[in-house]
Amino acid sequence: MTQVSVTPESFDMVFYDAAVIGEVVAEVAERLGLEETINLEIDEGSPLGRSKIISYDPIELWVDGGALENTKRPRQFGTGRARDTLGRLLLRILDRRSGRFDETPADDDLDLMQFVAWDVHCVGRLNRLGIGGQRQRRLYQFRNRHGFTDVADAAFEQLWDSSELSWTEIERISEACRAS
Amino acid sequence: MRKIFPAEELARDPRFIRQTNEQRLGDPRGARVAGGNSGDRLAKLTPELANGPDRARALMHGIFTGEIQALEGAGRTCWDFEVGEDVPLELKLDMARQCWDEARHCEISVALAEHMGTELGEFAENGLLYEAACNPDPVLRLTGVNRALEGLAIDVFNTMKEFGNLAGDPVLEFCEDWMLADEVTHVKMGSDWLRQLTANDKERLDKALEFQKVVDRLFSFNGFRGEDDDSPIQLTRRFRELAGFSDDEIDEIADMSREARVEAAG
Amino acid sequence: MTETKRPREPFAPWDRRALPGLFDVEETAKRVGHYKWVELKLFEALGGWVATVPELDIKMRLGTHCYHHAWHAELFDKRLPELREMKTDRLTVPPNDHMVAFIDAMTEPEGPTLTIEKLVGVYRVLIPHKIAAYTYHRNATSEITDMPTVRILDFILQDEFNDWREGEMLIQSMIESEEEIDRAMVHQTRLEKLMLAAGGIAGPGSIGDPYVDLPEEN
Ligand SMILES: [Fe+2]
Ligand SMILES: [Fe+2]
Repeated sequence: MTQVSVTPESFDMVFYDAAVIGEVVAEVAERLGLEETINLEIDEGSPLGRSKIISYDPIELWVDGGALENTKRPRQFGTGRARDTLGRLLLRILDRRSGRFDETPADDDLDLMQFVAWDVHCVGRLNRLGIGGQRQRRLYQFRNRHGFTDVADAAFEQLWDSSELSWTEIERISEACRAS
Repeated sequence: MRKIFPAEELARDPRFIRQTNEQRLGDPRGARVAGGNSGDRLAKLTPELANGPDRARALMHGIFTGEIQALEGAGRTCWDFEVGEDVPLELKLDMARQCWDEARHCEISVALAEHMGTELGEFAENGLLYEAACNPDPVLRLTGVNRALEGLAIDVFNTMKEFGNLAGDPVLEFCEDWMLADEVTHVKMGSDWLRQLTANDKERLDKALEFQKVVDRLFSFNGFRGEDDDSPIQLTRRFRELAGFSDDEIDEIADMSREARVEAAG
Repeated sequence: MTETKRPREPFAPWDRRALPGLFDVEETAKRVGHYKWVELKLFEALGGWVATVPELDIKMRLGTHCYHHAWHAELFDKRLPELREMKTDRLTVPPNDHMVAFIDAMTEPEGPTLTIEKLVGVYRVLIPHKIAAYTYHRNATSEITDMPTVRILDFILQDEFNDWREGEMLIQSMIESEEEIDRAMVHQTRLEKLMLAAGGIAGPGSIGDPYVDLPEEN
C-alpha cells in the first residue's frame, strides 16, 4: 500500500486539502505500480510551477503550490495539474531505478535540453496511462529547447511515442537536434 | 441595449473563468502578472528561463483575453456615445477600425494559443482592461485604454517578439510583429484624440492624464514593466514615441515602475 | 500633325452607360444621408453587442463587420459635400419615425441568450433591405453624372453580400431546435412590420415602385 504524507497538513494561502492531495498522490503512484511511502512537501506561498525530487529512496518530493493549482481558478487545487506534476516526478524515480538511467546526471546537473527531452518521454507515457497530457504544450517546450524545425518535431514524436527509452537513447535523440 | 455595459456581465462561454479584482489583489501570494507572480522577483521573460516557455504561454493567454476585452471596449465606445453630442464621428470611425483590428488580434491569439499548446480559457481572466473601458467620459476612456493599457500592450508585444526571436520561434515573432504595428496605431489614436478633444479644456486634459496614471499604476506591481535590464517586460521607448508619447511621459512611466520595484524590494 | 488612326466614338460600343437617371442632386443627397444614418446606427449596434454575445466566433465577426459599416458611413459622409451638402449632419437623419422605431427594436436585445435575435435583426432584416435599396439606387441613378455614388455603392454592396452570407450562416448554425426557429421568425416578423411601416431604409420608394396605375374603367 502506498503511504502518503503531505506537508503542511493545512493551508493558509491556498484552498488546498492535504487529504485530497494525499489521495491524488496515492492514486498516481498506484497506477505507476509504486507501493511505498511518499513524502510530499508543498510551498504554498509560491504560485510558480516548480517541482523536484529531494530524495529517491525514501521518496521525498517538493513542489511549488502553483504546480498543483487549477490555472482557471487561482488558489484552488487542480486535480489534473497535480496528477501531471506528480506523475512526471514519480516516473523519473521509476526510470532511475530501472537500470536504464544509470548514466543520467544528477537532476540539478541536467541542462534544459536534456531535462525537456526526458520530460517529454515521461509525459508521453503518462498520457497513454490517462494521466496528464497537453501534447502541444510539451511540443512547444521541446521546440523552445531543440529548435522549431522538422528534425526537432520528429525527435519529439519519437520521445513521446516510445514506451521505454534508456537515458543513452534520450540523449542521442536530443543531441541529434543540437547537431541539425 | 443599455449604455455602459457592466464589466461583471461581459459575455463568455463556459470555458472562461473570470477572476475578480478582489480575488486577484486578495491573493496573499501576490497578484498574477506577466505570466508570473508579483510576489516573486520576476526575472526578465526570456526563453533561457527554465519556466520561460510556460510563462510565455500564460502571458499569451492573458494577451488573448485582453484582446477580447479591447474588442469589447472599442465596440462599446461605438455604442455608448452619441455622435455630435459626445464625440465626433471620426472618433467612432477610429473605434470601429479598432474593433476590426482587435478582432484580428483575437484570431491571431487563438492561433498562437494553439501553437503554444494552450487551451482557450486555460487560465483565469481578469477584467481590468474592460473596466477602464467603462469610463463614462470618452476622453478618459480613450486615455486609460488606448494610452495606458495599449501602451502596455506595446511593451508586452515587443518583449514577446524578442522572446520569439531568441527562441527561434518564427510564428510567435511574426504574430507579435503585426500586432505591435496595430497597437502603435491604437495608442496614437488615443494620443491624437486626447490632444484634439482637450485642446481648450485643461481641466479635462489633467483629469484624463490622471486617469491614465491610475491605470498605469495598476500594472506597475513590483515594477514588472520597466527599463531595467531585468524588468520582466521591457518599456519600449521607440514605439511609444511613434505612438505620440513625449520623452517626459515615457520617463514618468519608467520612474513609476522603478519606484514600484524599490517599494516591493523594501 | 501626329498621325492617328480613324476617329472613334466617345462611347465604345460596349459602353452602354446612359445619361438619364431617376435622382437629381438633391434627392441623391437626401438618400445618401439616410444611408449614412442607417450605417451609423448599424455599426454602433454591432460594436455594442460584441460585449454581450458569449459565442467567441460571433463576437469576432461582429467586431469585424462593425468596421465594414463604419467604413460605409464614412464613404457616404464624404459623398455628401460633393452633393452640395456642406453640413453633413443636416442630412444624416432617418427617413421617418418608423425607421427610428425599427432601429430601436433591432437594438433592443441585450442578454447573452439573445444572439439569435441580434443576428436576425441585422442579417435577415436590415441588411437585405439595405442590399435592396442600394441595388435600386445603383441601377436607377445616372451612371454618368452620379458615377461616384455608383462606385461607392458597388464597394459597399460587395461588403453587404459577404456580411449577409456570413451572418446568415451564423444564424443557421445557431438554430438547433424548432423553438429557436420560432424565436427567429417571431423576431423577424416583428422587425419586418416596422420596416414595412418605414417604407425601407430610405423611406417609401426605397426600391422604387413597380406597380402600374390602372385607368378607371367606365
Ligand atoms: Fe490588440
Ligand atoms: Fe489595440
